[in-house]
Amino acid sequence: MAKTYDYLFKLLLIGDSGVGKTSILFRFSEDAFNISFISTIGIDFKIRTIDLDGKKVKLQIWDTAGQERFRTITTAYYRGSMGIMLVYDVTNEKSFENIKNWIRNIEENASADVEKMILGNKCDLDAKRQVSKERGEQLAIEYQIKFVETSAKDSLNVEYAFYTLARDIKAKMEKKQEASNPPGARSGAHQLRANEQQRKPTSWLSRCSVL
Amino acid sequence: MSLQKSIKSTGDRGDQADNTSICSSVTTQPDRHGFFGGAQYSPEPKRTLSPSTILKREQKWLRMLNNWEAFMSKNYRKVRERCRKGIPASVRPKAWLYLCGGQLLLEKHPHEYEELLRAPGDPKCMDDIRKDLHRQFPYHEMFIREEGLGQQELFSVLKAYSVLNPKVGYFQAQAPVAAFLLMHMPAVQAFWCLVSISDKYLSGYYNPGLEVLQRDGDILQALLRRTAPAVHRHLARHKVEPVLYATEWFLCALTRTLPWDSLLRVWDCFLCEGVKVLFKAALVILAGTLGDAGARKRAAGLCETLQLLRHPPPDVLAERYLLTRMQRLPLSEDDFELEHQRQTARRRALRDRDRDRRYVEMETSRRAVRDAAAAAPAALRKRLQARAPRPRPQVRGRQCTVVVSSQ
Repeated sequence: MAKTYDYLFKLLLIGDSGVGKTSILFRFSEDAFNISFISTIGIDFKIRTIDLDGKKVKLQIWDTAGQERFRTITTAYYRGSMGIMLVYDVTNEKSFENIKNWIRNIEENASADVEKMILGNKCDLDAKRQVSKERGEQLAIEYQIKFVETSAKDSLNVEYAFYTLARDIKAKMEKKQEASNPPGARSGAHQLRANEQQRKPTSWLSRCSVL
Repeated sequence: MSLQKSIKSTGDRGDQADNTSICSSVTTQPDRHGFFGGAQYSPEPKRTLSPSTILKREQKWLRMLNNWEAFMSKNYRKVRERCRKGIPASVRPKAWLYLCGGQLLLEKHPHEYEELLRAPGDPKCMDDIRKDLHRQFPYHEMFIREEGLGQQELFSVLKAYSVLNPKVGYFQAQAPVAAFLLMHMPAVQAFWCLVSISDKYLSGYYNPGLEVLQRDGDILQALLRRTAPAVHRHLARHKVEPVLYATEWFLCALTRTLPWDSLLRVWDCFLCEGVKVLFKAALVILAGTLGDAGARKRAAGLCETLQLLRHPPPDVLAERYLLTRMQRLPLSEDDFELEHQRQTARRRALRDRDRDRRYVEMETSRRAVRDAAAAAPAALRKRLQARAPRPRPQVRGRQCTVVVSSQ
């Protein structure tokens, strides 16, 4: 069977229970919104193929249950992910504070070069807002992660978020490919710098690390 | 004929932005189980048994319920046989309450439910419960109204449980089970049934760590290997793990999976025979969905297979097919017991091995640091020795990586 896509990216949606992960995914995959959703128990997924700079990119997006107790089964799926969306609810302070815990979770369980993005969902509910956009931006700067406020209900920035994450993964992937088989004329100046930076903290002593 | 209307026009679900596209439709008349729409909606009337058969069964059940203790202790096989045939709708709620031991608990603690409701409750649990109230059977007449009576009762039942058993507190999978019970009985009875199901039937499922669920996934896989080897091979080849398809089946006791008529019949057996009924149903769904070579060929990948298992063909989930196949499965009580022991032992061995491996890793890394210190100049040596890690009892494999940077 012929492959119908050029790239396959595995993405993951994480965040507290009730922040709208399933709604965001539903908006992106079906372009619809449903107020009658049921809570996610375990892990679910949706697929959408998008066109990115002339390439067909198949996105396999995993949706996870938000309650902490599910983490023992969901973290197993962090490792295979190339991109992770961290979602909080702008009308729920706690879900915003917990983003830090979710980031720690990623650090412990996902591969080191996973692309990340923070989404502040439900930004249509301005009257109930507890987390300002500035605080979201500040957090994103602190962790050097891209950030956008979304509304799955009003279809705001959901497409943008997934396209941005996919584009970043694609760019990183192509850079890696380029590095492994360098073309005749090298154009990877900042690529080298990035590598250098990564190599910096290691020393001869790091050989005693047991991996 | 049912009149298709959007949710907005029923006026039941509150305010709605104009640009919101509603992807589901509901009817103005609920079906015979109380559903206005959604996956559980079943418009066509069930082909029922003859009225005389129903009457006869009702009388048998009433006699049995009046002599419950005697039947359960002396003639359990009769009870089981009658459960397998299906409990008549009119006596079902009472029969469930008796079967699961909810009635006994209720008699033993007559005022406890009200007392638990008066307790303040853990704020985190209360928060988690509130977030889930409108996300259980949102198309059912009992739960369709935001903050309606059904949702209030759901809150009470879940809160009472979280106070009674703070170790479990509230787990999201309890909400559909509690909601399902509330559709059949008053809140206090639903509560004691939930207690019995959470603590006895699905013991350990709702505990932090979800160890029991994962072990049961292994058991399901092992049983599948015996009953449907081709399906087992297919799942293994595409790395479709039980945690991906069976989590909701087990944790919610199939309440979100089966069409209503099948679900009621499966629960008749589940409350009589226990969790192995869920295994049997799962095995039939797996074999029915992927038993055919053509179906396996079409589902040639992880996602395709999962998609299929998430929405099994309706005829596989149909009452008659499902129940008949479940009873015909070539698995005895001993088979379940044996597999249970085998998988429990296997997991224990794995855990022990993991612990030993971590210990060896710790020791190796300590030795490596010591050796490095011995080879290093004196000034560095002092610093390194100060940093040598001591084994801690609970350190994960990746965390015990020791990177000594020269900074």
